[in-house]
Amino acid sequence: MRTGSALLAGTICVTWAVVYLVTQVFVSPPLGVGTTVAAGTVATVLLVFGYPSALRGPRAATALRRWSRRRAGSEAPDGREAQDPEGRGAVRSRRRIVAGGRRMPLRSGLTADAARRTAELLRPLLGGDAVVITDRELNLAFVGPGSDHHQAGGPVRAAAVRSAITKGRTVVSRRASNMGCDDPDCPLRSAVVVPLVVGARVVGTIGVFRTHDQPAPRDQIEDMASILSLHLELAEADRERKLASDARLDALRAQINPHFLFNILNTIASKSRTDPDEARQLLLRLSDFFRYAVRQEGQLAEFAQEYFFVRTYLSLEQARFGDRLRVRYDIDPQVLTAHVPVLTIQPLVENAVKHGLADKVEGGTVTLKARVDPLTRTTSIRVVDDGVGMTADVLDVLGNGSSPDRGVDGSRGAAGARGGVGLQNISERLTTLFGERFTLDIQSTAGEGTAVEVRVPLR
Amino acid sequence: MTVTSAGTLVALIALVALVTLVVRPRGVSTVDFYLAGQRVGVATNALAICGDYFSAASFLGVAAAVYVSGLDGVWYAVGFAAGFVPVLLFVAAPLRRFGEFSIPDFLGRRLASERVRLVAVGVVQIVILSYLVPQAVGSGITWQLLVGRGLPGLSAYATGVVLSTAVVAGMVAFGGMRGTTWTQAIQFLLLLGALVWLAVVVAGSGFNYSAAVGDLSAEPLANPVHDDTGWHLQPESNHLDPTAPATFGQPGAAYGPLAQFALILTLVLGTAGLPHVMNRYFTSPTGTAARMTTVWVLGLAGLFYALAVMLGTAARQQIAAAVDDHPWLEELTVDGILRVPEHALPVLGRIYGGDSGLAVVAAGALVAVMSTIAGLLLAAAASWGHDVYERHINPRATQSQAVWAGRASTAVVALAAGGLAIAMQPADLTPAVPSIVAAMVTWAFAIAGSALTPVFVLAIWWRGTTAAGATAGMLVGGLVSVSMFVVGALPVGPGLGQMLVTPTLVAAPLAALVTWLVSRATTPPDDVERQWLVLHGTAADRHAERLARLTIASLGTTPRRSGHGTQRKGERDADR
Amino acid sequence: MEHDDGVDEHDTPAEVDATFRTLRRVAITHVVLFLAAVMGVPALSLTLGWWSGGRLAGGMSPGFAMAAFGLYAFFLVIGLAAATLSSAVEARMLGGRHDDDNDDYPADGELP
Repeated sequence: MRTGSALLAGTICVTWAVVYLVTQVFVSPPLGVGTTVAAGTVATVLLVFGYPSALRGPRAATALRRWSRRRAGSEAPDGREAQDPEGRGAVRSRRRIVAGGRRMPLRSGLTADAARRTAELLRPLLGGDAVVITDRELNLAFVGPGSDHHQAGGPVRAAAVRSAITKGRTVVSRRASNMGCDDPDCPLRSAVVVPLVVGARVVGTIGVFRTHDQPAPRDQIEDMASILSLHLELAEADRERKLASDARLDALRAQINPHFLFNILNTIASKSRTDPDEARQLLLRLSDFFRYAVRQEGQLAEFAQEYFFVRTYLSLEQARFGDRLRVRYDIDPQVLTAHVPVLTIQPLVENAVKHGLADKVEGGTVTLKARVDPLTRTTSIRVVDDGVGMTADVLDVLGNGSSPDRGVDGSRGAAGARGGVGLQNISERLTTLFGERFTLDIQSTAGEGTAVEVRVPLR
Repeated sequence: MTVTSAGTLVALIALVALVTLVVRPRGVSTVDFYLAGQRVGVATNALAICGDYFSAASFLGVAAAVYVSGLDGVWYAVGFAAGFVPVLLFVAAPLRRFGEFSIPDFLGRRLASERVRLVAVGVVQIVILSYLVPQAVGSGITWQLLVGRGLPGLSAYATGVVLSTAVVAGMVAFGGMRGTTWTQAIQFLLLLGALVWLAVVVAGSGFNYSAAVGDLSAEPLANPVHDDTGWHLQPESNHLDPTAPATFGQPGAAYGPLAQFALILTLVLGTAGLPHVMNRYFTSPTGTAARMTTVWVLGLAGLFYALAVMLGTAARQQIAAAVDDHPWLEELTVDGILRVPEHALPVLGRIYGGDSGLAVVAAGALVAVMSTIAGLLLAAAASWGHDVYERHINPRATQSQAVWAGRASTAVVALAAGGLAIAMQPADLTPAVPSIVAAMVTWAFAIAGSALTPVFVLAIWWRGTTAAGATAGMLVGGLVSVSMFVVGALPVGPGLGQMLVTPTLVAAPLAALVTWLVSRATTPPDDVERQWLVLHGTAADRHAERLARLTIASLGTTPRRSGHGTQRKGERDADR
Repeated sequence: MEHDDGVDEHDTPAEVDATFRTLRRVAITHVVLFLAAVMGVPALSLTLGWWSGGRLAGGMSPGFAMAAFGLYAFFLVIGLAAATLSSAVEARMLGGRHDDDNDDYPADGELP
């Protein structure tokens, strides 16, 4: 018997004691035996029904803040983030300059090609005339006026950029003399340069230049830089195979694919002209999304935190899909404090969006339903879409769990196309965590939609 | 009335008036007038809500009802206290988040309809008036007992009515909302203090609550009646079991089986539709604060009514025992039972505290009356000045014109209430119900609970509510409840008549049903999703709280970021 | 110290709808419990003789004791329970930008 049932049993015992005292001891004449038993039974039934109802749930208002605090207190398991326990704000202020400046070519994370694409996307978004992305020594990409001498592949020429690299913090310059380009004909006058950071190392910068003295909005660029930093960190972690055995990394790799980032950035770039306020909101949400994905540690998290991750993700996708993607959450108050495996719900939702609804012209609804049954001690999470669905044979392949080429995102079997990687991965992680004590059900009908239900023991 | 009691009374009333004048707002903009700047602390606001809510009906009426009917009178206390639970569950936070001036304003904007606004103004005025009249009656009764003399040409009762309404109307018109928010709180503290003092001295004299209930229940309950043969005691008939006599500790002395439930439900649903109480929610800083305010109110109300019920019981026992020692009780009682049950608490005060004791209780009663009248007049002024004058009569009104419209409507409403209170001689009505004051307040609760609460709750919790549905619901709820009163005034047989004067049991479900049916047939406003974000989202609350934290942080040690501090200083209270 | 980035917070309609429906469930279960208690006290006095005939500590019947103070304590408890639960649900289901991540936001950092 786990704690929840013991609590219920204890409460029932206390209730009977109170019923006995009130009806038999304190009051004269005592209540008849039959009526007393009936009263006690009614109270017991009410308690048993009340126990799993919406009468119970979290009481303290200190909600989501806990995860970053708790992390700060825990030891970083692999030492990689040991110097950077706080998040992006701390990244900027507490980073140390690595003596000797180990060179970190952004080869798999942000290649010159990826840098150029990113810079082109970001130029309208960040409100600058020119955007540069550098590593520690070279311009990886430069878009905008001045690209004749700040050419991509060439050395870093602006003093502000070098200053940002060595100081490891944001540099804002308002005059051409401070901006410090050694070419006297350079049209650029003001600059905001933010370092890109992996772990505690400055690996490069992103800079936004303007041809007049009013620098571009600093907050936006810093937000963007933190997103790029997280992405680079992810890419680096991916490359460093020492972490490959960690199931969490598999999940991350499956979820946070580069396409998602570029799709969202495209959306934000287009919104930045029509609705700058919403674009800014989306940027903040994007930043939240990546931060949560990268910083989350341990195997279990409060459902409320995972829910935060899911709704952040879905609000980004809704910005992209517009009215075609409708979302419905159905969440019991008790489930908010239940602990669920980290980063499991979002992949299910992403599958529903990517494989269920993205290909459906008229769009559809994703429903996330989360419940707790405190009597059987289970948490159940159900993700339903009314999208294209799957045929029976595809479902069989998924059900057998025999996706042959699991691993990288590129696996594209029949099952892979329906999110086999994510499901396979989740299933393995649930097995590691709970052994046989979980269920993962998939029901799907071609043309009508898919329902995935996970039931795990209540923690 | 002796010099001592006059002195004590005058001193207490002067204290309240002084506070009103001291905290009178400097600027007289409409916003200042109606709302105390939306940043009144949770505790202050809870006290102010109590000051609005606890009226003569609560202070004198509940004790009187218990005095006359025993357990059946306790249902009033239960119903008055319970009313805030639905408010907390369904209304408090969304109402504050939507952030309008008044109930008609809320319904008008939520349903995007001026007709709904005007109908709501009409219903609100009826509720306010039917709530004002018993307050004026209560002050008349108190004056009658305390002073016993009237101004030239007026009876003592009429003098009390005229003086209390006139004084309060003046205070409201020239004190503004800020004044009354703080005075409401202080007035409630005075009221609670009077009650606690009385309870302490009664308990200190060796009063045993449980034994008193047992003793009083030992013999049939009988109350004074006046007929051709003069005053004599007449046993109450038992409405539950006609063969047995009614007793103090058992139900049945006043209400039949169904009438008990009807009364409690009427009071429970009515609170959510009381304009002067709901207006107070708009002064909470956030929705969450509005919720916590209500929790405070529930605690204070529980304390207040538990004491009031205890004192009603104590009065029944102690006054009968004290008749021999206090000759002045002769003319007030018949065989040890008070003729006018509302006198229970003042008489108890005089028995235990002499003339000063009487003055303390009388001051409590007058203050309860005044604070409630002030809240009601203010709500009336808000709905006339803001919803009708500024929107329909003179849309280009200047600030001072709007304020004067509010003042004029205050005067008119006060005049109407005073006139009705004088026209209704309480002596004519007393035998019909346990306590005339408590029973008259029930009418206001019934209309509010039938016409406003169903529509209000549906508008908050159901997207499909439409303007036509709300209008139909309010009209049906109001008409059904009023016509049930009228029918109830005719002789219609035992039990049924009591049901009819507490019509919420029938009228509220009917109003909800009509609202639902009509809304289904019409289309809701287009921007309902956007309204939902305001009504049920917490973005604005979070923003306010964040700015408040920022302000506190910047006021602390870091002058370099003080730009945030000075700019948002006003948000500081918002985090409480 | 926190940083006010000057952007008003936003909730998406789907998030608000989710919170709304969860809170509605909370409110309805609480109101059912509340009505059961409030109506239960008079109902018991109609059905169970012991409820108004028994003597508690020398005189008061259980029904009178409930109406005279038991119910008020119950109202406070149920109100506190509903208020804290609703506020906690709102805090977890809406918002969630972690302001304390910005604790060390650098106030300087510009070149002279």
